[in-house]
Amino acid sequence: MKNLSKLIARMTVVIFASLAVPALAHAEKLSVVASFSIIGDFAKAIGGERIALRTLVGANSDAHVYEPKPADALALAKADVILVNGLLFEGFMDRLIQASEAKAKLTVMTEGTDILNDPAGGHYHYVDGKAVFHATPNDPHAWQSVGNAKIYIQNIAKAFCAADAQGCSTYEANATAYSEQLAALAEEIEAAVSAIPQERRVAVVAHNAFRYFERDYGVTFLAPQGVSTESEASAADVASLIREIREKRAAAVFAENISDARLVEQIASEAGLTLGGTLYSDALSPAGGPASTYIDMMRHNVQTLTSAINRG
Amino acid sequence: MRHLIRGVSALALSTALLGSAALAQDDEESVTLYRVFVGDHKDPKVTAFDLSKPEKRWTFDTVGQNKLYSVNEGASVVAVQSDNDAVNFINSCISLHSHGDHSDIEIADPSAVEKALTGPRPFHVIDHDGKVVINFDKGGYNEIVDAHELTDGEIESTRLKQARAHHGFAAPVGIGWVTTVASDAPVEGDSAPTRVGLRAVTEDGTPTGNVASCTGIHGEAFSGAFLAAGCKEGILTVTASADGPVTKMLTYPSDLPSGETTGTLLGARSMQVFLGNYGAKGLVVVDPADEPNFRYIELPFRRIDFALDPANARFGYVLTEDGSLHQIDVLDGKLAKSAKVTEPYSMDGHWNDPRPRIAMAGDEVVMSDPNAGLVRRISKSELKEVGTIKVEGKPYNIAVAGGSGKVHEHADGEAHDHAGHDHAHSHGDPQIYKGYFEDSQVKDRPLSDYAGDWQSVYPYLKDGTLDPVWKHKAEKGTSSVEDIRAEYEVGYKTDVNRITIEGDAVTFYKDGKPSKGTYAYDGKEILTYKKGNRGVRFIFKKTDGDAGAPQFIQFSDHGIAPNKADHYHLYWGDDRAALLNEVTNWPTYYPSSLKADEIVSEMKAH
Repeated sequence: MKNLSKLIARMTVVIFASLAVPALAHAEKLSVVASFSIIGDFAKAIGGERIALRTLVGANSDAHVYEPKPADALALAKADVILVNGLLFEGFMDRLIQASEAKAKLTVMTEGTDILNDPAGGHYHYVDGKAVFHATPNDPHAWQSVGNAKIYIQNIAKAFCAADAQGCSTYEANATAYSEQLAALAEEIEAAVSAIPQERRVAVVAHNAFRYFERDYGVTFLAPQGVSTESEASAADVASLIREIREKRAAAVFAENISDARLVEQIASEAGLTLGGTLYSDALSPAGGPASTYIDMMRHNVQTLTSAINRG
Repeated sequence: MRHLIRGVSALALSTALLGSAALAQDDEESVTLYRVFVGDHKDPKVTAFDLSKPEKRWTFDTVGQNKLYSVNEGASVVAVQSDNDAVNFINSCISLHSHGDHSDIEIADPSAVEKALTGPRPFHVIDHDGKVVINFDKGGYNEIVDAHELTDGEIESTRLKQARAHHGFAAPVGIGWVTTVASDAPVEGDSAPTRVGLRAVTEDGTPTGNVASCTGIHGEAFSGAFLAAGCKEGILTVTASADGPVTKMLTYPSDLPSGETTGTLLGARSMQVFLGNYGAKGLVVVDPADEPNFRYIELPFRRIDFALDPANARFGYVLTEDGSLHQIDVLDGKLAKSAKVTEPYSMDGHWNDPRPRIAMAGDEVVMSDPNAGLVRRISKSELKEVGTIKVEGKPYNIAVAGGSGKVHEHADGEAHDHAGHDHAHSHGDPQIYKGYFEDSQVKDRPLSDYAGDWQSVYPYLKDGTLDPVWKHKAEKGTSSVEDIRAEYEVGYKTDVNRITIEGDAVTFYKDGKPSKGTYAYDGKEILTYKKGNRGVRFIFKKTDGDAGAPQFIQFSDHGIAPNKADHYHLYWGDDRAALLNEVTNWPTYYPSSLKADEIVSEMKAH
């Protein structure tokens, strides 16, 4: 009987989603692997108790320099659903998928989102005092736009429904509820930013992961620019950033949870600004921290920005 | 050593490959090439050939038997001649440049580096973080060679001294270094001292930490965030921290066969995991971070050689003395399949007796077969021979360089090697920098890309500050220092020593006297130069201002789309069209905030 119900479930999946994912026995939870903490938080919000979640790149960790482990490959091999950001954000993923011989298809969160395109684009990551340039023609940090986060949620609900038709109504209800929270969050951010005088809406970061935030909410972020694939932020990059900070009269410099702060400290001291706090860009804080969920993260970032700018 | 082409300019290399390099976004243009280097068991020579065209051979003469290491992503091959106190270097002249979503591949004939290293008994070679580190077992030091300079055909090395000479290694770990340490105990005659552990040192060998115990330490590899080495009691792991290297001993668990140890380790590239031997008839999969740290794989016969697949971390390959090749499933911790690939080679006798060696080359395992005088090509998925290549003498040690224009992702741990390098490039795609791009890639640019306070570099040419740059260019190319200087003398010549650009206003300081104009964007022109490469001029037209300010200014800064310039060449005059024909005089400006020595290092980086 179990086999029969499996077969029916599988056929249902094929019919509704044309996705050949393994079907579930009744008692089993949907096995979900999320590439990093923010997607993991979304998956938890949509999947709730129906899913068994493994998040590969955890709190305060930089997916760009993540070292995948054998246990990650084994988790991928068993996964029913694999959630990734895409746009070259998870550089380790393709090879890990290959090694794992994963059967589940990748669900790409940024599919259908409004993407910033820059053919010569990219940004620096700062790891152990070194700057590493991450070349990406499409900016991967799409979740910094709450509008995009809503698409992430829809993509996740769709993938869960395709893999677990029985839970679909739950997933959809969770997605609707969460989307309402996101709508409220977007309004909150817009209101907070609009309270900052227009000419003061300029901040400085080392790792420019906030271009979507800039686009959607009108806070300008300055960061060392450079489009080298193999260099540290050069003296010239930093010099030109300092010039720009002065020209645009940036209000504050921010550290990031995933980067070491030495470079921004240097920039802050050269530009005569103080550090305005820590922004969360590519990862959540651990549970109990100020940004342990996506919504808390966005709120924390806005509060940190506004209070530092208003102070400065 | 035989000197083949040395110092082929980067430009010449990329010209040869224009098609694939400039259009690297296009999957159809992807190139896959594997170049195999084979050291003879007896004769002091290295033979090289491409798997796709093995009839064409290159031969490099050395002074002794060569053990070969492919280093720096296959850019160079190190030929270690332990018994003859020499180390030679061969540039594979296949280079892969990653651009996130694709890689460019450049191919030229392999070429020997002119200079060799000599010293008492070179042995282990470490390739990590842009450094190639060679231990001189009887010299008591490591020679640290800069991998990038090596690619340019230059040997720039420094020494890391050890307290006592021994068969060990030294390796960079984060901001610090570690070296193996020999026992102080006296030894009989010529025998080597025993090894007791590993200690943190500075780049010159000055100790900065205590000795972490690791008895008989031997066999080392990097994977992910870890360095690992085998010892009598377990496997010692090392990770970087802000306070220097941190060691941790993973003791062999009791369920492993007793009395054996790990003496050879390999590190996977796309997953944080090691594969080591465990005695003669066993292997261990070592997960340095998570339990269980060890998984044991028993082999049916003694191991001759083993390798990890850099393209797919799931699999490794091991050859055993019965002549069988086995595929190892690293994740499952077992042998996945086996097939006979050669006649038996007994492991009785000396370790350096002629026996096969294996290396990975894309979808194939290449295996030297000394007794048959062959290199065998074996499909890695089927373990079936797909071809043989005759190699004169007794082909023995083997190394492979190359890859495919697409698979070479930037994001795994090893690729961050580049970040340690001090060349401060801040341009985009190196192909675009050299002038190879498509029209569709060119985008209009605002004057604000050039905003700032700029100084002419001509005074630095006149006063000799830039002489090291000409010397550097001469070493890399085919022109003499004098010719290069003369070319730049004409190129840089100008009496406008400073330019400031703010908003739409450009001020020219001719011999210190300002003339100011406002300028508006007037389009871009794509020029094709004699060499076949191209450049883009971004043109601005005067809208108002002093009579002394030119009607047109044309920027050229190697960029082709909006991006802040970090230096630029500026052409100016009153005839837009005539100006486009100016290709010999290109006054050049760097930020006024840069000091002379910073400009020199920026220029040398290109």
